[in-house]
Amino acid sequence: MKQAQEVRVGNVIMQGKDPMVILKAEYNKSGRNAAVVKMKMKSLLQGGVTETVLRADDKVELVMLDRKEVTYSYFADPLYVFMDAEYNQFEVEGENMGDALNYLQDGLPCEVVFYEGRAISVELPNSVVREIVYTEPAVRGDTSGKVMKPAKIDTGFELPVPAFCEIGDKIEIDTRTGEYRSRVK
Amino acid sequence: MTPRWDIFCKVVDNLGDIGVCWRLARLLHDEHGLAVRLWVDDLAAHQRICPGVVICDSQVVSGIEVRHWPDDFSMATAGQVAEVVIDAFGCGLPAAYLAAMPADAVWVNLEYLSAEPWVAACHGLHSRLPDCAAPRRFFFPGFTPHTGGLMREHDLVARRQRFEDAGAASAFLATLGVPADARLKVLLFCYPSVCLPTLIEAMDEGPAPVLLLIPEGAVAQSVLAQLAAKPRRGFVEARAIPFVPQESFDELLWSMDVNIVRGEDSFVRAQWAAKPFVWHIYPQEGGAHLAKLEAFMARYTAASDPQSNLKPWSDFNLAWNEGTLTAAHWHALKAALPALSHHAQDWATRLSTLPELTSALVQFCAKPV
Repeated sequence: MKQAQEVRVGNVIMQGKDPMVILKAEYNKSGRNAAVVKMKMKSLLQGGVTETVLRADDKVELVMLDRKEVTYSYFADPLYVFMDAEYNQFEVEGENMGDALNYLQDGLPCEVVFYEGRAISVELPNSVVREIVYTEPAVRGDTSGKVMKPAKIDTGFELPVPAFCEIGDKIEIDTRTGEYRSRVK
Repeated sequence: MTPRWDIFCKVVDNLGDIGVCWRLARLLHDEHGLAVRLWVDDLAAHQRICPGVVICDSQVVSGIEVRHWPDDFSMATAGQVAEVVIDAFGCGLPAAYLAAMPADAVWVNLEYLSAEPWVAACHGLHSRLPDCAAPRRFFFPGFTPHTGGLMREHDLVARRQRFEDAGAASAFLATLGVPADARLKVLLFCYPSVCLPTLIEAMDEGPAPVLLLIPEGAVAQSVLAQLAAKPRRGFVEARAIPFVPQESFDELLWSMDVNIVRGEDSFVRAQWAAKPFVWHIYPQEGGAHLAKLEAFMARYTAASDPQSNLKPWSDFNLAWNEGTLTAAHWHALKAALPALSHHAQDWATRLSTLPELTSALVQFCAKPV
C-alpha cells in the first residue's frame, strides 16, 4: 500500500478490480492542511481513460511492476522507442507518456515500466537539467528569486523561473511537479 | 420510503466542522424532507451553536437524529448503514461502518470550500478504496456553476430583506444587551491574530466611534484586556457577547456594518448577509491558505463594478491574514465602506443565481456512479 500523494505518473494502482496506469497526478491542498490528488489514469484491461480524485493520505494498492533501465531513442509515431544496454527496443504509446514528454531528449536515461510483459509507461529521474531556449530578459536588480517569469526549454515546455534566469542558462527541474529547482552553474 | 442520510462529523477544532454539518443536516431535513442522522464526536461543540443539544448518546433535535460518535463505534448500536453517507471534510468513517457499507451505498466526501480553479475539475469525481465495496464520490462546494455551490435556505434572502425593511437590528441587538446607536458596528469573529492590537489601536484613532462585538472566547478576552490596559481616546468600545445559536447568527451579521468572520460557515453566511466583510481564513502549513484567499479575492473583486475601488478590501484581507496589518489598512477599509456595501449586495445577488448546495447534493446522490 502507498499513500495517494506518493503515487507517480507511470505507477499502476488498483481501482476496484481494474489495474490503472497513472497518466497524470495533480496535488492540491484542500483545507485545514488536508489535500487531494486528482489522477488521470488508463485501464490496463479495457484501455479506457478516466479521472479520479483521492485524499492525499488515502491508501491505494500499488501493483508491483517490472522495470528496466533504458534511454530514450526515437519517436516512431505514435510510439516512443526506448533502448536498454543490450540494444533491446521497447515501445511506449504516446498517450501513456504523460508529463515525461515535457522533458524528453535523445539519450535521456529513464525506466520503462512493464505490466504482464507489456511496456506501459516511463518513469523519469526526479530531476532533469535543461537549457532555457527562450525567456524575457532578466530584470536588473531583482535577484531575490521570488519574482518569476515564464521560460521555455528545448522541448517547448514552459515553466516559471526566477527573474534572474536568462536564455542559455541550465536549470534543474523537478519532474514530479514541473517546477524550477535551481540554476545550474 | 424516505431515504436515510448519515452525516459523520469530527470536530477537529473550533466550530467550523459542526457549523457546516449542522446546517447541512437542517437543510436536508427541513427543505428536502430527508431522514437525517448526524454523528458528532464532540457534542459540547455542537451545543455551543445549538443549545437544544444535550450530552447523551442519542437524541432528536429539530427533527434530526443526533448521535454521539464514540471511539468504540459499533454497528450493533448504530443499526443499518444509511442509503447516503456523508463523510464531512473527509473525516473518515468508522471502520465498522465502512466494512458494512454495501457496494450500492452512496458515499460522499463533502470537501472544503475553495474558490481555486482546480476545484471544478475535481468536483463530482469518484475513487475506490481497497477497504470498501462502495465508490466514494467527491463533492466540492464552490462559487461557480461547475461546483456544488453554497448552502442557502430557500427563504434566506427574503428573511434578510424583511429584517432590514423592518429595521429589526435594534431589537435583535437588544436581546444581546447591545445598544443600537449610530456607532459603526463591527463583529469580530476571528481566530487569535497578531493583528488584533493594531486593529484596536487603529479603531481607537477615530474619528468615527466603533462598537466592536466579539463572541466570548480567547479573542474577546485579549481585546478586552488590551483596552483595559491603558487609557484610550474612547473611539472604540468592545463587548463580549454570548455565542448565538446558528439560527440567529444571520441576524447578528445583518445587524452589523462590518463582519470580520472566519473559517467556512460564517464566511459563507457573511456573504449572504450582503454586508462588507473580512475573511480570516484558517491558517495552513506553507501558506496554502493565502493562495485560497487570493483565489477568493480574485473572484470577489472581478465581479465588481469597474468604478468601485475594492483595493482597500483586498489589502486589508491580505494584511490581516499575513499578519502585516497597519492602521492605514483599517482607515482605508473604513473609507471604502460605501463601495463595499454596494458590492456586497451585488455579490450576494450573484451568488443566489448559483446552485444551492443541498439541492445539488441531493441530485448528485441520485445519479449512479
